[in-house]
Amino acid sequence: MATSASPYTGTNGAVLRAAIGYLVGGFATFLAMGMLGLLMRLDHAGILVISPDWFYRLMTLHGAGMVGAVLLAALGGLCAVVSQWVRLSARALWIAFVAYMTGMGLVVVATLLGRFAGGWTVLHPLPFDGRTWSLAAALAVYGGYLFTALGLLIVCVTLLRGTTAACGGLGGALALRYLVSPRSRPQAGLPRPAELIATVIAIDGILAALAGLIYLVPLFAEAAGVVPAVDALFAKNFVLLFGHTMANLSIYVAAGIVYAVLPVYTGRPWRTTWPVVFAWDLIIVLMLVNYSHHLYQDFAQPLGLEILGQLGSYAVGLPSFIVTIVGALALIYGSGLRWAVPSILIVLGLWGWVFGGLGALLDATLPINQVMHNTMWVPAHFHTYYILGAAAFAWAYLYHLLAGLSDVPGGRGARIAAWLYGVGAAGFVIMFFVAGAHSVPRRYAVHLPQWQIYARVAVPFVLLLAAALAWLTVDMLVRLGPAWRRTRVPLA
Amino acid sequence: MTPGLVLWVLVALGVLWTAAWAFVLVRSRPGPGFDVIEPVENRLRLRLLVIFGGIGLLVFALSLHAYPYPRFRARALGAPTETISVLGAQWGWSLSRNTVPARVPVEFVVRSKDVNHDFAIYDSSGVLLVQVQAMPGYANRLIYRFERPGTYTVRCLEYCGIFHHIMRTTFVVH
Repeated sequence: MATSASPYTGTNGAVLRAAIGYLVGGFATFLAMGMLGLLMRLDHAGILVISPDWFYRLMTLHGAGMVGAVLLAALGGLCAVVSQWVRLSARALWIAFVAYMTGMGLVVVATLLGRFAGGWTVLHPLPFDGRTWSLAAALAVYGGYLFTALGLLIVCVTLLRGTTAACGGLGGALALRYLVSPRSRPQAGLPRPAELIATVIAIDGILAALAGLIYLVPLFAEAAGVVPAVDALFAKNFVLLFGHTMANLSIYVAAGIVYAVLPVYTGRPWRTTWPVVFAWDLIIVLMLVNYSHHLYQDFAQPLGLEILGQLGSYAVGLPSFIVTIVGALALIYGSGLRWAVPSILIVLGLWGWVFGGLGALLDATLPINQVMHNTMWVPAHFHTYYILGAAAFAWAYLYHLLAGLSDVPGGRGARIAAWLYGVGAAGFVIMFFVAGAHSVPRRYAVHLPQWQIYARVAVPFVLLLAAALAWLTVDMLVRLGPAWRRTRVPLA
Repeated sequence: MTPGLVLWVLVALGVLWTAAWAFVLVRSRPGPGFDVIEPVENRLRLRLLVIFGGIGLLVFALSLHAYPYPRFRARALGAPTETISVLGAQWGWSLSRNTVPARVPVEFVVRSKDVNHDFAIYDSSGVLLVQVQAMPGYANRLIYRFERPGTYTVRCLEYCGIFHHIMRTTFVVH
């Protein structure tokens, strides 16, 4: 496991530039989408009045943009990490980037100009029956998703080609021989944790992209009049298999970054042990089966899938907590952890991943879901493990990469800003949980006066979060130019 | 389980987790070597797997009793004595009747005329009691027993277009 002071020695500078493009593109999109989120919370608080038409357009853009942004940034981080040991094609990464951003651009155009307000989950047949937007706007969003899925597919294929070539095939990249025969641990040849995770992510990413295609092709056919109306339950299953897996991928991609970065700040290696292999190989399956917890209230869904959703949701938490979280805490304990912006964001991310996961586990329990589904509890849990999970890990890596390449470490102010990021984000998401526990519906443009208090308490925390992000943004911008130039000279 | 109780469960679990997390951060100063910690970590993992795995299976088994699907509800509450047809359409609800008897199982047969909606029943104090999706092409059966007379509010909890938030109606339980 490499934990040297010059981690990018020998790395292809072109791949690092692509990775920086992903991370910066994702971060910039995250900031823009965050501003939309602030506007929506001001509306919920009764401080700002946004028309329902605009509110739902912004809500749609915010949701699609955030999922796209965090996944893009996390993918960039993971590519940079594995590029230390795995040969990746920079050209393929840039092609994927263009496809991905084209997709996101189409969603921007459809929402801001085309008045599309079908929600980022585009539950069929709402996009075709929205009344306030045209079929063309809906197709632009579907086209956007198609391009985004294509971008994801290219990145995943690139990663998979790289890791399988480096590890002697798919079995080697997943350490399958070691998995089935733990006593025969080879002295060499096991993939590093980040390589293993990149392989797992690539497999699920490819499957998610295929689910997106299975979902989108019949809808384009319906729009063209080739087939009759697509079944609502079929569409819901596939859009959630695609969308939920994409959203889940973000956190697992970002977790891969933690495996590579935390050792740098603790001075301890994160080895490929049997529990790490078992947990991550298991996640290939578990990540794909728990989407069904979004369909608990669709009573027409086969009971077996509902039960699978509940058991799968419980099961997917076990390897993540027992292997990744406990592993990270063991790495930190007694290590003399070097406190810097990346390590602060990572420990905040560990907290948020678990806290958000607890909220998700409760909601994944079917009788509880009866009284929590589509209340503010839902955005509560996924905002927690986005802002205080996947995004925190991705920004930790962005800062780590820029500081490392530019050779300009962060100062005390930046460390304070990183902690304030945690305080602001925690206050913001906790008020979502409180609102959910008071049965406040999600996705309402207009909140009743008795519901506004939760958003009013949240708004100062959002402003604190925005201030912390502004500080970190300036801090990273200062390092961006030197870091970019550093990638243009041989990294040897 | 009521929404308020769910929050308290989260608070309790969250406090436990935050305490463990903070404990590790406080103990992040140089201490025992990793060769000492690694075996402890492995034993801890095994124990946590047994404990959490066991809790998960137990919660799953207990939750089966409270599943909201018709066959489970009919077993728990008895066969419904009243049936109410519900149709959701952008952006309103129509119920075949707006009075419902208290303390007997009633069945809502929920359909949608256009897009996905969610038929969610709130009590008079604004607490969400129960919900089911209204899906185009499907009829979802929701069985419930109202214990208290009063006015109940139906809200749509599945985003269905730009007037989603005004899609509500009321009925009376007597």
